[in-house]
Amino acid sequence: MATARAADEAPAPAAPAFDVKNAFRNICGFCHEDYGRKQGKGPQLMDNPNSDDYLFNRIRNGKPGRMAAFGGAFTDDQIREIVVFIRKLKPNENP
Amino acid sequence: MKRHSRKAITTASVAVLAGLAFGAQANEGILKRSANDWPSYHGDYKSWHYSDLNQINAGNVGKLTEAWSHVASRATRGLQGFPLAVDGVLYYSSPYNQVYALDGATGQMLWTYKQKLNEDLVAKQTHSPYNRGIAVGFGNVYMGTLDGKLVAIDAKTGKLNWETKLVNSEKLTVGFTGAPLLVKDKIIIGSQGGEWPWRGPIFGVDAKSGKEAWKFFVVGGNEGTASDRRDTWGGDSWKTGGGGGWMPGSYDADTDTVWWGTGNPAPLYDWAGDEWMTKGPRPGINLYTSSVILLNPDTGELKGYHQVLPHDAWDYDPASGELMLIEQGGKKYVVHPTKAGFVFVFDRTGKPVNVYKGVDNINFVQDIKPDGTLVGRRDMKEGKHGNLCPAIAGGYSWNSGAYSPKTGLLYKVGFEWCMDLEVVKTTPILEPMAQLNIGANFTFQPPKDGPARGHIRARDPVSGKVKWEMKFKVPPHGGLMATGGNLLFIPEADGWFSAVDAATGKVLWRHNNGQGHNGGTITYMAKGKQYVATVTGFGSLVGDAYGELWGEPWVSMPKDAGVLKVFALK
Ligand code: HEC
Repeated sequence: MATARAADEAPAPAAPAFDVKNAFRNICGFCHEDYGRKQGKGPQLMDNPNSDDYLFNRIRNGKPGRMAAFGGAFTDDQIREIVVFIRKLKPNENP
Repeated sequence: MKRHSRKAITTASVAVLAGLAFGAQANEGILKRSANDWPSYHGDYKSWHYSDLNQINAGNVGKLTEAWSHVASRATRGLQGFPLAVDGVLYYSSPYNQVYALDGATGQMLWTYKQKLNEDLVAKQTHSPYNRGIAVGFGNVYMGTLDGKLVAIDAKTGKLNWETKLVNSEKLTVGFTGAPLLVKDKIIIGSQGGEWPWRGPIFGVDAKSGKEAWKFFVVGGNEGTASDRRDTWGGDSWKTGGGGGWMPGSYDADTDTVWWGTGNPAPLYDWAGDEWMTKGPRPGINLYTSSVILLNPDTGELKGYHQVLPHDAWDYDPASGELMLIEQGGKKYVVHPTKAGFVFVFDRTGKPVNVYKGVDNINFVQDIKPDGTLVGRRDMKEGKHGNLCPAIAGGYSWNSGAYSPKTGLLYKVGFEWCMDLEVVKTTPILEPMAQLNIGANFTFQPPKDGPARGHIRARDPVSGKVKWEMKFKVPPHGGLMATGGNLLFIPEADGWFSAVDAATGKVLWRHNNGQGHNGGTITYMAKGKQYVATVTGFGSLVGDAYGELWGEPWVSMPKDAGVLKVFALK
């Protein structure tokens, strides 16, 4: 990451633009390891055989006791951006 | 108490104590517990996970056989709770806040209680829908709910007596999964916290009326009191600091003090690395997260504390791990195995008098001195870091250990595992909200000294000296129980349920319960006969890692099934 923002700099008051990578690694990386490139508590997301709709719905609605529903935390547009992020994952390249 | 034969003591205590646990002096039912009962999560206030009962013992345990069972519906992530038993009735809770009362001798259902829940909210929770235990007293069964309530259910009829909303779970996502603790006329319960941006309080509620009596904010303490330490959180980070106290604590009646372990600060990992005093998302030592706190049960006033991990940067919160009240050589201690893999021995004022390593693979610090001082901390800046030990799931996990006064030994499952991680710079979270705040991306790894594995070590609780060890390719994740019959019960992760000689670790009995164990084991008397009860069902935030590390049978094991299994002598 090339950002040179001082670590102790006060956060900007306005909500920053949706940063998919940041959201993914702070929330999803807990179960989808290595940015979803490796199976962890959740399945591998890179090269996932399911359809975009399936991925979208799983993120939005979750699955009881396995994965929380993130429909309240993210808008539908943000979830679509996450699906695009997942589709671009490559084995040897950090997203 | 004078030393007659053990049998005589048991009979005498029955006469005196029958009904106490549910009576006007419910506290006494736990304090002067009859060996026939298991009236509180940790057994009683001493938190030994031990029972004096010895009808089932090392000599006859080979004849132990299944007496009855009970199937819980909607057991997503398995049964993770601890049954309780009072006057021959067994009570237990299951996911989605369901509670059952069963005849302890036959399993005949007396009543079933199902909490009405906001299912949309539950679907948003990561640490859900399990319930880890209940409390009994004053004619009630008490349970914390996923949506932030404490409920009192009539122990005779299973009807709701009252419910009190304590946490705005709709806004904060967190609720209650841990067992409440009854102390005098209060129910004490800690909220979830940790990875969630809030201030994770511990509550005291009037056990009869349900009125909230006090709350103690783990993050920063209480404003306007001596406990206010929001100054240990840079900027406004105290507003979203995590905390909580997700497992029940203990009570020291001698000093009238509640002991509770608190949750970690959020985010779990800190990109500021060793500059954490002045930089990063939560600059400062972050009181009272990752601490052991001592509270006045009547008022919630802070009487003392020891911060086990100042500015915890590894998620090794001492919220889990029993706080065992142990006496040795005329001295009184509180012994506390922690997620960090170290065992802390406190005097009864909360001062550490010894700290020892319980597992082999620890490198987040070089050491912790006997007085509790951390030496050579590994503070990880933003970026990739290899081989952090133990892994996030802990050197010790939340499954309980046991202590037997007969052998003088502490028994605990240790985990040898590590992880690689990338600490990330997170967008600051300014308001409490429904979002995980982890601060890293990680992958479990075997330690440098061999495969990921586990062990049960039986040791002197104060010095830490190991008497015997059982090695496990895959560590058990159920709660251990020791008995006066010289037995240690071990609910294993692959479905086997074992009883070993508590003095030597020799396996004496094994039975396959068909799926892994995540919850607790108890023993009790019903109609003159001793029973052993345990719960089955796998898949927790720790259990979910088993498939990844060890493959089958955990990959295929059900993640939505749970059965209570009860055993007796043939
Ligand atoms: C607590 C662990 C956990 C967290 C946190 C988590 N997931 Fe999942 N995720 C799972 C599990 C388990 C499954 C498999 C569910 C099933 O059985 O269908 C899954 C499935 C998925 C799937 C469908 C892929 C498939 O093959 O089933 C997607 C897409 C997904 N997760 C994305 C995300 C995103 C994006 C986030 C963060 C916003 C996230 N997950 C957070 C555990 C988690």
